[in-house]
Amino acid sequence: MFMKRLRAGRIITGAEAGILGAAALLVVIFALASDSFLTQYNIFNLTRTQSLYMFVALSQAIMLVTGNMNLSVGAIAGLTAVTFGYTVDTLGLPWPLCIAIALGVSLATGFFNGFVMTKLGVNSFIVTLSTLFIFTGIVYGVSEGYSYRNIPAAFKTIGRGSFLGLPYLFYLMLGTLLAVWYMFRHTIFGRQLLATGSNAEAAELSGINTHRVIMGANFLSSLFAGIGGLLWVSRLGSAQPAIGENWLIISFAVAIIGGTALAGGRITALGLFAGGLIMVLIKNGLILVQANVYFEQAFLGSIILLTILLDRAREVWAKRTNRS
Amino acid sequence: MTKKWTILKTAIAGVAIASFSAFSASAEEPKFAWYASTVHPYFDEVQKGVDAFAKDTGVEVTKRLGQDWTQDNQNENVAAMAAQGFNYFSIFPSDVSGAKGLYEELAERGVTIVDFGQATQEPTPAAFYVGTQLKQAAMQATEALVKSMGGKGNIINILEVPGENTRLRREGVEEVVAKYPDVNIIQTVGDLSTIEDSVEKVQNAIAANLGKIDGMIATGYTPTVAVAELLTEYHEQGGDRIHFFGIDTDAVVLDAIRAGHIDGTLAQNPYGHGYISMALLKMMSEGFKPVEGQHAIDAGVLTVTKDNIDNFQGEISDLTKGIINSLEGEYLTK
Repeated sequence: MFMKRLRAGRIITGAEAGILGAAALLVVIFALASDSFLTQYNIFNLTRTQSLYMFVALSQAIMLVTGNMNLSVGAIAGLTAVTFGYTVDTLGLPWPLCIAIALGVSLATGFFNGFVMTKLGVNSFIVTLSTLFIFTGIVYGVSEGYSYRNIPAAFKTIGRGSFLGLPYLFYLMLGTLLAVWYMFRHTIFGRQLLATGSNAEAAELSGINTHRVIMGANFLSSLFAGIGGLLWVSRLGSAQPAIGENWLIISFAVAIIGGTALAGGRITALGLFAGGLIMVLIKNGLILVQANVYFEQAFLGSIILLTILLDRAREVWAKRTNRS
Repeated sequence: MTKKWTILKTAIAGVAIASFSAFSASAEEPKFAWYASTVHPYFDEVQKGVDAFAKDTGVEVTKRLGQDWTQDNQNENVAAMAAQGFNYFSIFPSDVSGAKGLYEELAERGVTIVDFGQATQEPTPAAFYVGTQLKQAAMQATEALVKSMGGKGNIINILEVPGENTRLRREGVEEVVAKYPDVNIIQTVGDLSTIEDSVEKVQNAIAANLGKIDGMIATGYTPTVAVAELLTEYHEQGGDRIHFFGIDTDAVVLDAIRAGHIDGTLAQNPYGHGYISMALLKMMSEGFKPVEGQHAIDAGVLTVTKDNIDNFQGEISDLTKGIINSLEGEYLTK
């Protein structure tokens, strides 16, 4: 039964299989290339970084699926981290309350982005490019560049602890991806997100309030960015204002490698999982093989491109096979 | 698009400097300015030195921070300040090569500049550079690391973003390691510009060399903070002892030294970078000229370990006083 559903593409689609295959191939290559690859320490760190990447990617993918984008995801993460640090360290509030306040701030940024996009009709690129600067300015205005260090030990456990050898963050990622899969597969809002991204005009004509849907996507995007920022605080043990500075490229790269369509209308939870894995594997692998540090970015870009081309080749091959 | 934008910005900067030129013809009196790229704890410390100088001498200094680390941003802001009549600048050059264009335009119009923090590539219109001698600092940190490892073992060299400064730091580390036959660099990790990147790459390097690492050295601020966080977690979870020396005295780094998770760091003298650079400008405004052949002023670095963590600031303050007293004669003459 399971194999039947699998073959029919109801569990894993062809696109997901391609990305998962590429990730599996990288695992095999690195396992053969280095004794250190399959050590417990490396697996723990790989899965932890993958989990963090997943929240970064989700914050972008959820906007891409509606045909929009969010350039301010890193700044939202930084703002959430600094809000948490300020409330827990400077104000001394209980950390669960600080999480609520910080996530409240991240949701407020999502509301602001969504409001300007939908009510004022400004393109998402322009809105989020502006708020990237606004939020970053607030981060440095509040923190003055200093980190907040008095982070409660219980909160740090979230980012540092493990269960059965895998980080807590990994289970959090799996749960989140399951919820995302369920939302897009089984909820009206999820289908509306896809419909809006596929063809906004057709979606409107069929009675979908696309403004409400885009507002919802902004809320989710900022929520994922905020959670990602908080998880980085937990992992680092301090709230650094620089959190989120390198998110922009990662958010697009992981989402696109994972099969999210830039033009909107397509997203896959399993693909995102594999996309995050591919990204951490490549970065991990470059260190394992001691790649020249000055050429590292060139290697990274080339391998990402190669992975996408392999997946594209698989799609073309699958189409030809179907025709014949 | 980018090229057009750059041309437009250069034109704006040119207009600003031209208007300054017209203004400066009638404005002879010195106006002092201090400029740094953007918000950063290092610049806060430097500003304390500038403030102390202003208080001690009664000289008014206008301080300005830019919006980001790009040279473009610095060009626009400094040109605008020059247009307001400022003619003595203490500047942290955002790009040690790219800043020279700005400096050349300013110098042509009689503006005096002193670099602090990092030096523009020579030949440069900057009269002086006040800061840390990067290669020597890297060598000092490496010597301290090798000593903490008992003169033998494997180390990982952790570098910041590629550039002239990183090249000097890398050379410094490698020269010291070459002196010790029982010390080897087993991996060099680089291109670390953000905290997330630093954490990820360094933990990958630890995983790749697990059980073989005796020490690590970082010669940039961001990787140092990242490694301090990482080794705190690593040692708390029972990982083998890895010795570490970094640079700068971020509170996170000092916490890790106090807790014994890292061995030490190098304290730079940001207070001196601020105070000394302003003192030089003031003296030059009074007619002093640079002594031929003198350009770089080493404001000093201090190795901070658990032993001196509570009193190293006093030692740094003494360094500054000594340099101030030696300015006339050693670096400046009438």
